Amino acid sequence: MRILLPGEKEGRRGFLKKGLVGAALLAAAGGGAWLATRRTRPWPASRKPLLVFDAAQAAVLAALAERLVPEHPGFPRPAEVDVVSRADAIAAMAHPASQKELRQVVSLFESAAFGLLDWSPRLFTECGVAEQDRRLRAWAGSRIAVRRTGYRALKQLLSSAYYSSPATWAAVGYAGPPAAAPGPRREMPGEPPLRRETSAGPAPRRETFAAPELPPELSPPPPRPRRFQAAPVAPAASEPVPAPAAPEPVVPDVEPPLPGGARGP
Amino acid sequence: MAPEARPGRILTGADVSRDPDERPDVCVVGSGAGGAVVAARLAQVGLHVVVLEEGPWHRPEDSTLREEDAYPRLYQEKGQRATADLAITILQGRALGGTTVVNWTTSFRTPDRVLAHWRRVHGVEGITPEALAPHFLAVEERLGIHEQPADEVNANNGALWEGAGRLGWARARTRRNVQGCQNLGYCHMGCPLGARTSMDQTYLPDAVAAGARVYANARAVRVEYRERRAVAVHAEVLDPRTDRPTGRRVTVRPRVLVLSGGAVNTPALLLRSRLDISGRVGKRTFLHPVAAMVGLYRDRVDGWSGAPQSVTSHHFADRGPGKVGFFLEAAPVHPALAARSFGGFGAAHQDLMAHLPNASALIALAVDGFLPEETGGEVSIRGDGRVRVDYDIRAPIWEALREGCKALARAHLAAGAQSVFSLHEDPVEIRDEAEVPRLDRAPWERLRVSVFSAHAMGGCAMGRDPERSVVDARLKMHGMDNIFVVDGSVFPTSLGVNPQLSIFGMAHWAAAHVAALLR
Repeated sequence: MRILLPGEKEGRRGFLKKGLVGAALLAAAGGGAWLATRRTRPWPASRKPLLVFDAAQAAVLAALAERLVPEHPGFPRPAEVDVVSRADAIAAMAHPASQKELRQVVSLFESAAFGLLDWSPRLFTECGVAEQDRRLRAWAGSRIAVRRTGYRALKQLLSSAYYSSPATWAAVGYAGPPAAAPGPRREMPGEPPLRRETSAGPAPRRETFAAPELPPELSPPPPRPRRFQAAPVAPAASEPVPAPAAPEPVVPDVEPPLPGGARGP
Repeated sequence: MAPEARPGRILTGADVSRDPDERPDVCVVGSGAGGAVVAARLAQVGLHVVVLEEGPWHRPEDSTLREEDAYPRLYQEKGQRATADLAITILQGRALGGTTVVNWTTSFRTPDRVLAHWRRVHGVEGITPEALAPHFLAVEERLGIHEQPADEVNANNGALWEGAGRLGWARARTRRNVQGCQNLGYCHMGCPLGARTSMDQTYLPDAVAAGARVYANARAVRVEYRERRAVAVHAEVLDPRTDRPTGRRVTVRPRVLVLSGGAVNTPALLLRSRLDISGRVGKRTFLHPVAAMVGLYRDRVDGWSGAPQSVTSHHFADRGPGKVGFFLEAAPVHPALAARSFGGFGAAHQDLMAHLPNASALIALAVDGFLPEETGGEVSIRGDGRVRVDYDIRAPIWEALREGCKALARAHLAAGAQSVFSLHEDPVEIRDEAEVPRLDRAPWERLRVSVFSAHAMGGCAMGRDPERSVVDARLKMHGMDNIFVVDGSVFPTSLGVNPQLSIFGMAHWAAAHVAALLR
């Protein structure tokens, strides 16, 4: 994650020009972001300890995820897919400096002082859902690019964490990888390598990959009403296109020849 | 010259239990589209070649085809590379074989007009269509590059084919570097069938067969140089399981050094090594900034299935003087990438996600770097060691992205989409032609609309003038006697086409110039 925060040199100059708002953000960030979350009700201990976020920051992420994925038939609740642990695992892969920036953004988002900017002088986790959504929109649409950056970081983190979970695939109608996918497999002695077609001719067509058998909890939800009307839909492309022009004529070039006369593969 | 005396090999971080000190003829840093081809060509003429690659050796059978595994394992910065302000997501591969392991296999030769522009504006002499043609032919033959058959165009690409056709726009099926492709649709997660002719399946084995030693999990940290010559490359060995340094080092002392780390990592290595004579390293970074429009169709599109890119329209690639051109393609639709890209938060975002099977994603790629005033982005190194990419999307590029999205909206509608969405944070929804101008009123401003790049180029621009460029028209660094740069970073502008074949061809051509220095 690359997050340009006010503490950073380049961001700071442009930021200070924005006056009071910028100053308030700087104060909040510089004055120890932990202050922002000292009253946050901590997130209950998860199945495994978190690597990047503390319990208060985890509580903020959990609250944000609830707003990213509101109650909707077929969509598991973020807690069911352990979205906070998944987000923490993603963040843990980033550079330590990027992890620190992420923690700062989470804490700023929670901050009651910072909420003042959006007429919401409360911890984010203590707001009602309407106020939470309003604060999210305020960050998303802020005139201050740095706030939009912070919002983008949190949205990408949480949407990656949630929607990469196989438990959410059914909700979005995704059947998962093709059944032919071998999955993680280590080399086994004596096992022949995967065959690859190397002849110039057309490859033998493999059978169509059927959707894998899903356990009941992953089965696709019943069809939901579509919001658009039926209309004629174009058939798939099949019209042939003209053959590409013949390659450029080869003319002698001026490059030094490779020693040994090796030309081409 | 007795390559049989030096058996070639691929070593991973697990194979390195001491601190090797290699003294080859050539060290190639990076094993992607540039490095692999150069390494193979040089090894085949009997030169001793060592390749350093920071990414893992990913075998086809290692692919789980899950986004949660693929992006962290096979992409730069665990799939989190972006400009410093997060406004542009940058997709770049990181594996043995580089981006060729995860790209969408689209293969174009460098357009003649681009080469002509380089000659006219940047003083790049000698790289002509005629000079490159035999090299393109050789690469195309080795990689089996061929046009995607008409009956293997998926519905996602079919939307562009149909839309462009009905609107009377130029369109074509793309050529792809695949052999025995089953059109699974998972190119960007590492083909599980080994059916793409990526570098790890082709030129790297060729190099190894000719005696090259290839280190995976070996990250070049610094180039050591004395006066006008590189004397050593220092690399740290990474644990293949954790991707963290094992404490082992590889030192390579080559006669000639070839840098092929790509348009972000090659400038970064030079800057870390304080090898920036003209002050131009890391400048003129071009990204083909991409905006997308999502069409929702009555029938299922299943945009995750089928070859990810098989149709292209270059109808708007050249829009005349003063305008930034754009070209149109499709992008595969997978849940996590879609979720990161779709606008909104909460119910609106979720509703779009709920319609994913019916969504077709078409993209407009802005052809940046051709206007006289364009300086592109910049690669630099932060105080804490992280690479930093900045790219200010200026007005002419926003204009191209806006017009590109309007074109895509029309294409979707012509193809029968019932509704089309922009990727604005507050999505613009279009249901018929009369609503297309709504895109004119949308905010085209950073972080208000999702912008991507899968084509990082530039940063070590070639040119005649050492004050304004980094390498000459033979790809040798100005002011250095034995350093070449052979990757997408040498392009002085973007290309207007997907870059991999340009890099293959140029590397195939450049190998002779590298070899010439060793005779």
